[in-house]
Order: sequence, then structure tokens, then C-alpha cells
Amino acid sequence: MKVPYVNLKLPDSTLRKEIFKALTKVFEKGDFILGQEVQKLEKQFAEYCGTKYAVGVNSGTDALFLAMKALRIGRGHEVITTPNTFLATASAIIAVGAKPVFVDVREDMNINPDLIEEKITKKTKAIIPVHLAGKPADMKPIMAIAKKHNLYVIEDAAQSVGAEYRSKKIGSFGIVNCFSLHPLKTLNASGDGGLITTNDDSIYRHLLEIRNIGLKNRSESDYWGHNSRLDSLQAAIVNVKLKYLNQWIQQRRENAAYYQKHLSDIVFCPQENNQEKSAYHLFVIQTPERDKLQSYLIKNDIETKIHYPVPIHLQACSKELGYAKGDFPVAEKQSQTILSLPIHQALNRSQLDYVIEKTLKFF
Amino acid sequence: MRVKFSYLKEQFSHPEPILKAIRALVRSGDFTIGKPLQEFEKKFAKVIKTRFAVGVGSGTDALFLSLKALGIGVGDEVITMPNTFIATVGAIVASGAKPVFVDCNEEYLINPSLIEAAITKKTKAIMPVHYAGHPADMKKIMAIARKYNLRVIEDSCQAVAATTDGRAIGSIGDTGGFSLHPLKNINVWADGGVITTNSKEIYDKLILLRNHGMTNRDEYEIFGYNSRLDTIQAVVGNHLIKDVEKITKQRIANARIYDQELSKLTAITIPPRRKNARYVYHLYIIQAKNRDQLLAYLNKNGIEAKVHYPIPLHLQNCAQYLGYRIGDFPVAEKQAKNIITLPVHQHLTKQQICYVVDAIKAFYRLHK
Repeated sequence: MKVPYVNLKLPDSTLRKEIFKALTKVFEKGDFILGQEVQKLEKQFAEYCGTKYAVGVNSGTDALFLAMKALRIGRGHEVITTPNTFLATASAIIAVGAKPVFVDVREDMNINPDLIEEKITKKTKAIIPVHLAGKPADMKPIMAIAKKHNLYVIEDAAQSVGAEYRSKKIGSFGIVNCFSLHPLKTLNASGDGGLITTNDDSIYRHLLEIRNIGLKNRSESDYWGHNSRLDSLQAAIVNVKLKYLNQWIQQRRENAAYYQKHLSDIVFCPQENNQEKSAYHLFVIQTPERDKLQSYLIKNDIETKIHYPVPIHLQACSKELGYAKGDFPVAEKQSQTILSLPIHQALNRSQLDYVIEKTLKFF
Repeated sequence: MRVKFSYLKEQFSHPEPILKAIRALVRSGDFTIGKPLQEFEKKFAKVIKTRFAVGVGSGTDALFLSLKALGIGVGDEVITMPNTFIATVGAIVASGAKPVFVDCNEEYLINPSLIEAAITKKTKAIMPVHYAGHPADMKKIMAIARKYNLRVIEDSCQAVAATTDGRAIGSIGDTGGFSLHPLKNINVWADGGVITTNSKEIYDKLILLRNHGMTNRDEYEIFGYNSRLDTIQAVVGNHLIKDVEKITKQRIANARIYDQELSKLTAITIPPRRKNARYVYHLYIIQAKNRDQLLAYLNKNGIEAKVHYPIPLHLQNCAQYLGYRIGDFPVAEKQAKNIITLPVHQHLTKQQICYVVDAIKAFYRLHK
């Protein structure tokens, strides 16, 4: 039996028919740039997250970049985040001209709120908690620290659409929040795409200008901007998929529960506490036998991934930031032990059973 | 009669082959830097006659990533002109560098004889804009760049298939930045851009920069950006780029009729056309007396004439911090009051072009 890690192929289905229909509609209208489909998605997505506004942009990376631009974060500033996230979180901070300051994580792979305050300096402008793998960061203490030190919170929800913390959707806590629609995400486009959510009127209006090259209207510009617009074509695809999102997340949660039930005794499985609902974008187990387990599973046609094997502070690109091995012991240890099992909604029960069977057999 | 500025509707007279290819891609899931993108990059490099082409998120990003690949940023100055689309300068500002403006000439192109006076110790690059599809005088610009050891980034966003002195626009400077925006001569059905270069070193850097600086999935050499031409759009590009010569020739033919007919009017100034240059007429821009009234008259008669652009960039609010004032660039400022853009796209009929010409003539009979 084969268990692929992702399945991007679109089999014949109602979904495929709906997507092809939506695409043809966009083509026929020639409504390609910031068209009706983008506006529709922005409205629906804001409703989904429980925010006033959503803004479609070119990628999750750009969502973070533009969020910081809209908050006037740039040169001379520091932004706090975690070192075990996808590179784009840190590179967006670098791209605006600010310095990423890393804080270690807890066992659940999200930022450890107890370690944030010691990293705050006069230059700190924002905290970017990453909801890694679909699991919400512990927002209550994070928001309290931000309030105390007068810092912005920008949620990196690139992997966490649909997750909830204290019965509120992720992406509705920070002043500006960022989502990715990359093909590997749970809610995905057929190319790059991203979304920003906010409740703030003036930030919203500013974002509309800076994603569209700073144009206030066709002939006037108050700000220099960027070109980062969600394609209408991609918005049309996501609009179709949004209807299925809750169903997909539910399926992922059932898959996760099944893994937890059968694997928790032998490996560390992600758990939920009673104030959160994880969206299980990834199902990351932790075991010191990681490398051997991964090869064993591959030999048995089970594809797994590592998110991510080298933390950002130890990458070549981070040399100038001056970190060293040992600075973030939890993140570093996890990078040696984490393994992402297939969790996507298209897996069937026999595939899950097969993964469980082989994993148990390995141990 | 209606004469529309956009031609997207006509482009869909036979969309089925493209739609079929898009459906196949959506089925296959090869979305990020997929095979059709690599194919498109090869085809595009062939058109521009460069060794390399790199598909990126937009024309704006093509310029921005070019600057980044050349190591240009905070503390540096980049010379360009103030009568361009805002993205040229937006890209310079986004890189962290300071835009320094030089006035344009009667062709709406950077005036090479004014460049040297704008060069300082901080100047790192010249960004000539091949505005409207008019090729800038690259011979003179390259000579200045060599003399002062400056980089040259050709803003070729509006000038695919243009040439000057027998060389393709986008193949002369260090890099050329192209736009594939839906309204461009060679377009895709969303945002998209391409960078052309002959330098392997620049190419390698661009490949990293557009894709998060990743050497592979797990190793990150530099902090980069996310700016990839969607594979789905490369599918569209692969279909449309086959027609680049046909499209270009039709636009040139349309512009020739305008040139011939409108040069008879004293109220109209047609820009000079250099003999050794191929103008590709992304925009057909002339200067007209009573411009605003003419524009209103044409619009009233169903002709979608436009102004590109009524306010030069040095006079925009966003440029205030640069300290320019009215009078600093007299040619660009004068043109901003007089220029008007007529529809020139490849799907216009002879009758439509004659209708535009007749309407302009009729207007000036009324407004002598």
C-alpha cells in the first residue's frame, strides 16, 4: 500500500467540476486583477475568521511582509518570533528591514510565552506568534505581554486556518494576521496566494493601497507600495474550496484522533488542551528514533516529512544574526526528533491503519 | 462605434486550447515552479535573445529582484525618470535605495545627456524605462554606465520585442524586467513578470531570491522572497508567446496609420521615431492641444482614450520626502498636461482606427 504525504491531484469529483466552472467564469469576464472573485473571497474569509476585513495578497510571505509594512515596522526595529518555523516568517522580518529575535518553543512547538519578556528591548515593535502545524499558540499570555509592553501582535496563521483558541478563530487575535494559500496548505490555491485579516479600518485601507503599488486611485499615490495582489483566478479556486474547509478540517481532526488513540503510548503525539482546537495542518510526532523510523516508513511506501530539520537560527542565511548552537535547546532538540505523518483529508481508514501498523511494528 | 482600450475579450475568442491546458495542470497539481514554467522561461529567453529568463510574481518584482540580485539597497541611489508607471520607482524604494530622477526627452524616454549631472558617489545603477514600448537609447546609456561603473536594469515592462541598434530590449543591461500583466503585449491572466539576463551569477542569485533563498527544501543560503510566476500562468504564457511577432507587427501597423494621419494635424505632436529602433507600442501616446477636452470628447464618442499619467511621480505625495518641486523636470511636467493615449492593441480593426482618427479631426474642427 502507498501512503503519499500530500495529494495535490484533483480527481474527478464535484469539487473539480465546480473549480473548472469557476475558472471558466473568470476567463470569460477577463476579470483578472483584483476582480470580483477576490472581493468575494475577502468578504467570505473575513466572515470565516470573525474579523471585519480580509485582504488578498500574493503569498503568505507577502502577507507577513505587508502586515509589518502597514504597521510601519522597518529598519532599526526588532520583531520576536520562533526559530522552528518556515523560513518565510523570518525572511519577511528581514525584508522589511527589521531584525528577527528568536524565542524558544514549548513541547507543543509553539512560542514559550514565559521566555518572551526577557527578549524585549527598546527596539521591539511586535511579536509574531506562529501557530505551527495548525496548533494555536498560547494567545492569552502573549496578548497580555504585548499589552504590557505596548507591542503589536501579528499572528502567523499560515499553517492554521480554521484553528480555534478559547472558541475564537485563529487570525482574529492580533492587530493584523496572516494566512497562506500555498498549494500545500489545507485551504489552498493552485499557485501562490495569501490573506491578511484585521479589524482596524485604517490598517485595512492602507493595506489596499500598498498591495496595489501604492495606488490610491489610477493617478495618485500617497505611499510607495508593492505589487502583491491575490490573482482573481486563484481566488475563484479558493472560493469553491472554502465551502469544504470545515469538512476537511473535521476529517483531519478525526485522522489525528485515530493516530493519537493508537500511537500515543509509544511516541509523543500532538495533544489538544481544552482551550484550543487544532486544525492539524500537520501531524508532528516526536521520537529520538526519528531518522530510522522515517527510513523504515519510506521503505514501506509511507511518505513522511520533517518540518523542519534545521532551525532558522542555524541556517547559513542567519549567520549575521549571531546565534549559536545551544541558544534554543527545545527547538534544536525537536529538529532532531520531529516527524510529520500524512494527515490530509483524502486519506482513507486503511491507509491510516497501515501507517499505524508499520509505526508500531518499527518500535 | 466602441473602441475599447482592453483587448482581453477578443483574446478569448478561442480560449479552449488554453483552458484545456489549464485544466490538465489543475488535475496534475504541478503548481509551484512546475514544468510549464521552465518551458516558458526557455521560450522567453529565446525571444529576448538572452541566456536566461526567470519567471517572477510581477513586473514590479522583476525590477525589485533585479536590484536585490545586484546588491542594491539602503544608502544607494538609482537613476530613472519621473514620467513612468509608479512601479518602476516603487521597486527602487522597496529595495531601500533612493530614486533619483532625470528628465525625459520628446520620445518620453530618459534624456541621456542629463544623466551624468545626476550621478553621485552613491549612484549604483541606472534604470532606463522603455516607456510605452519606445526603446531607450541604450548605446548612450551603456556608455555612461561603463564610464561610471554603474549597473543597468532595463525596465522593459512595456517593451517586449522592442529593439534598438539591432539588439533586443532587455538583453543589453545587466538585467531586463518584463511584465506579463493582463494589459501587456504578451500577457498572462493574472500578475506575472520575467527577468532576463546573460549573467550566470545574476541568474543563480535570482533563482534563490525568488524562492525564499532556498538551495533545497531544508537549507537556506540567504533570506529571500516569495515571488514565483505561477505555473498556471506559465501555461497561458506558453500559448500566447507563440504570437509575439504577430501581435507586435499588428501594433506597429496600427501605430503607423495613426502617425500618418495625425501628423497632418498641427494640434497633435507625434514623438520623434529613431530609425534604428523598433517601437512596439504598448501604448500609443501623442501630445495634444486641449488635451482634457479632447479626452472627454473621445470618451463621449465611445473611444477609451486614457492619460499615462497625469501627475509625474516627483509630484506625488509619496515622493514628497525626496524634496522635488514643480519645475524640476520641465519636459515631463509639460508632457503630463498634453499627453493622451489612444487604443492601439492588435485586435483593433481598420475601421476602428479610422473612427478614432476621424473623431480627433472632428474635435479640432470644432476647437480651432
